[in-house]
Amino acid sequence: MGGRYLARKLLQAIITIAFIILLNFLLFRLMPGSPDRVLARNLPLDVRQVLLERWGLDRPVFPDQFVAYVGATLQGDLGESFKFQGVSVTDVLAERIWPTLVLFGLGEMIAIVIGLALGAYSGWKRGGPVDYVGNGISLVLYSMPYFVIGMILLIVFSGGLGWFPTSGMLEMGATYGSFVDQLLDFLSHLALPLTTVAIGLIGQYSILMRASIIETLGEDYITTARAKGLTEGYVLRRHALPNAMLPAVTLVAINLGYVIAGAITVELVFGWPGLGTLTVEALNSRDYPVLQGVFLLLSISVVLANLAADLVYGLLDPRVRT
Amino acid sequence: MRTPVRHRFVRLLAALGLTGVLLLPTLALPARAANPLVLRVGTLQSPDSINPWNASLVVEYEIFQLNYDLLVGFGDDLQPTPGFAESWTQSSDGLTWTFKIRDGMKWSDGQPATSEDARWTIAFALNSKKAGTTLGLGYIQDYFVDAGIDSVVAPDPQTLTIHTKYPTERVLSMDAPILPKHVWEKKSAATVGDFTNPAPIVGTGPYQAVEWKTGQYIRFARNPNYWGNRGAADEVDIRFFPDAQDTMVQAFKRGELDYIRNPSAQQFDQLKALPGVTAVEAPATGFTELGFNTYAKDIPGGGASTKALRDPAFRDALGYAIDKQAILDKVYHGKGTVGTTMVPPYYVQYHVDPTSPRTFDINLAGQKLEAAGYVLNGNGQRLDKDGKPLNLRLYFPNDEPSYATDAQFIADWFSKLGIKIKSQGMDTGALTDIQTAPEYDPKAKANYDLYIWGWAGDNNDPNTLLKIFLTSSIASAGTDSLYSNPQYDSLFKQQNEAPTADARKASMAEMQQLIYDQAPYHILVNDSELHVWRTDKFANWQQMPPGTGTPLFVMGALNYTLLTDATAAPTPAAPATPAASAAASAGPATVAPVTTPTPVTTPTPAATPAPAPADSSSGGTLLLLGAIVLVAIIAVGLVAWRGAASRRRKKEDEE
Repeated sequence: MGGRYLARKLLQAIITIAFIILLNFLLFRLMPGSPDRVLARNLPLDVRQVLLERWGLDRPVFPDQFVAYVGATLQGDLGESFKFQGVSVTDVLAERIWPTLVLFGLGEMIAIVIGLALGAYSGWKRGGPVDYVGNGISLVLYSMPYFVIGMILLIVFSGGLGWFPTSGMLEMGATYGSFVDQLLDFLSHLALPLTTVAIGLIGQYSILMRASIIETLGEDYITTARAKGLTEGYVLRRHALPNAMLPAVTLVAINLGYVIAGAITVELVFGWPGLGTLTVEALNSRDYPVLQGVFLLLSISVVLANLAADLVYGLLDPRVRT
Repeated sequence: MRTPVRHRFVRLLAALGLTGVLLLPTLALPARAANPLVLRVGTLQSPDSINPWNASLVVEYEIFQLNYDLLVGFGDDLQPTPGFAESWTQSSDGLTWTFKIRDGMKWSDGQPATSEDARWTIAFALNSKKAGTTLGLGYIQDYFVDAGIDSVVAPDPQTLTIHTKYPTERVLSMDAPILPKHVWEKKSAATVGDFTNPAPIVGTGPYQAVEWKTGQYIRFARNPNYWGNRGAADEVDIRFFPDAQDTMVQAFKRGELDYIRNPSAQQFDQLKALPGVTAVEAPATGFTELGFNTYAKDIPGGGASTKALRDPAFRDALGYAIDKQAILDKVYHGKGTVGTTMVPPYYVQYHVDPTSPRTFDINLAGQKLEAAGYVLNGNGQRLDKDGKPLNLRLYFPNDEPSYATDAQFIADWFSKLGIKIKSQGMDTGALTDIQTAPEYDPKAKANYDLYIWGWAGDNNDPNTLLKIFLTSSIASAGTDSLYSNPQYDSLFKQQNEAPTADARKASMAEMQQLIYDQAPYHILVNDSELHVWRTDKFANWQQMPPGTGTPLFVMGALNYTLLTDATAAPTPAAPATPAASAAASAGPATVAPVTTPTPVTTPTPAATPAPAPADSSSGGTLLLLGAIVLVAIIAVGLVAWRGAASRRRKKEDEE
């Protein structure tokens, strides 16, 4: 892969991130309702003055606040949370990021494996029973919002059958005999949210993969491969799939960016302590620094994921390498 | 050529490795102690801080009340009981209070707890206020400051002397914690709010916080050095469910929680019927109101759309067009009481019903409007005194679904009077921005007419609700109706400095009547607290006040210490009253029977129509439904496939 290709992609990524930092700042300042008044409705004026001074909100937006923000961000200082007084934003984010990563990382992996396999098989055996049934189910799941899937699972499996706990990541204040016990508890809490995320994503991947495979199978080189006498399985695995996977790779990369955003609704329904619930809390209390931190994290991860997708695309498809 | 075995093996290993790495951080999770009896409580609020100076939410108060003692505690009958102080006497001139601090009391870290800690805490709050510094958010500091204390001295480790500026009993009801001097003394007043007060917290209260996961839960362990009753719970866990009311109720049904605060009205009614569960509807400290923009000055390019809103006679007449009982029944499902004055009935010491309360009578409302000079024109529109048809905007924050329904009812009733109402829900932040006056922000336009919102007061003092109507609140943006009345201001000062609770009540009675008559607010409903708990794990749930209140989320943490183990030996233990002492005014302690306290009778609504998801039978029904849908999809798929296959065959035959 050419150095120029790589350099061009890197430059694009950097420019995008710079633009994001600018937008990040503006976006949250545009929200109505200043944080000091939303924090508690009847805070006395002098208390609010002190808070405004401490948060730097009493100075003019341009240039003071903006310069301070950009300067601090470039040094890696994301500021202090308004809501959780005295706690730095990086601490707040650090605590919440890995539950989201686990949930969505594993969810993505499962969805990729199952969704792509299902889609590929459906497309390969187009018109077969798996195709019709699989397609129908995928469409239904794809169109259902995450929280509907989540609530149904919660009501049936947790409230109704009692197989899984309702919320949280671990049994609050539980005692564990061994690491395995702790892991099992963690997994039982993870089961329902993970299923929700996986189900939601499988629909997307399977439909996309199916369409992609169908298109690929119409290509001339497939006919050639068959004419050469190669087995169906070999044609699928070594000729059809690699080409059909390209759009899927793009979709997977885009979704990976959203891993960090942590589909807010799933986390809310299951009380999963990740970035999604953090975002809702921060929104409600106009906690600008935390919101900026989450937004920055999300944006950068999307940019990086797309950069990775471009590079992987370059690896997979020689045609785009120049 | 298939991929070599070792490539496939490497890929599998990589996948497993990735999964393992993702799960690795679970190793870092804290493990824990033996087999404790845990009281698990659920609430919708999530605390922002466990530093008591920052307490503003009910759950934050509950947290510091578990960790720390108040100087004087609250008994279930709302009378003062021993707290940090064991006993107290007042001098004959009423200006000096002498508190006995119990001998041998220790902080949870083993350090001795003496009068010096109490003196330091109170002096810290008072001196900072005098220097113009607010500690944290200031609410807790105000309890010390508003008690009329002149000076505080600790002549010896077991004696605390407080001198007051005027005779007052307020020092017995300061809902603020006594903090350990050796932990807090190095903090400066200006930045004490930034101190996160990390767990494990050092206090003299019955339970100490040992772990706080923001947005999730806080865990308390028993204080080994606690001087009072030994509650049955070895641990108290409070779990937060912000924006997740359904999840909280599910968790309760599943047995993951022993006590929950404020499920919805329908969920409350469902849970009430379950065996082994007690549900109580108790008066809450808050209310929902219809407010008016009563700002008395003209604002160029802004202000209310009509001067009629400044006229008490106009506001009073409109009050006759509001059927509060209907709102209570239809919007709040009967949970709560009809609103009257701005001091809700929860404050039993201070609430006074208005003389000649309004009735719901549209005709009478119309007559009163006519008499006040607001007549109908030929088109049935009501005109103000400037001859303009009344066309009012009704705003409400969109975070509370009941407000929208309230607005619909009110718009409908007012339309019968010829007043057109345009309702609009808005973001809370946006609404707070609108409801400001030039005294606070010179650019403010106060561009609004009517609004629906709510307030909640403190657990033991209605002052925060009374302050809404002060003139000074306009400049500090502590009011949304921008009301100003010098008579009210002086009455407030009177009650704030009154020597006894009875004297306070007398002043407050006048204030309540004044606000009721002048009607800057029409209080629609007084809110209810809905608490549900199970009785098969812990017993001896005492209510504060007895019979009508709730056990938890009240003043002080007494009821946590009175709980007994429901599964233990059959003889019901009478609740031990905390070490009472001679000079304490009226002894505390309800010796209520150990069996489940009688829940307040709620107006039983007709069979709840809403389909109730989430009890096992509905879970089974849903599963069945889901299975049917799945089978239907498969069936349709198969049929379609068959159809397509046969069509293809037919085409091939034709070719």
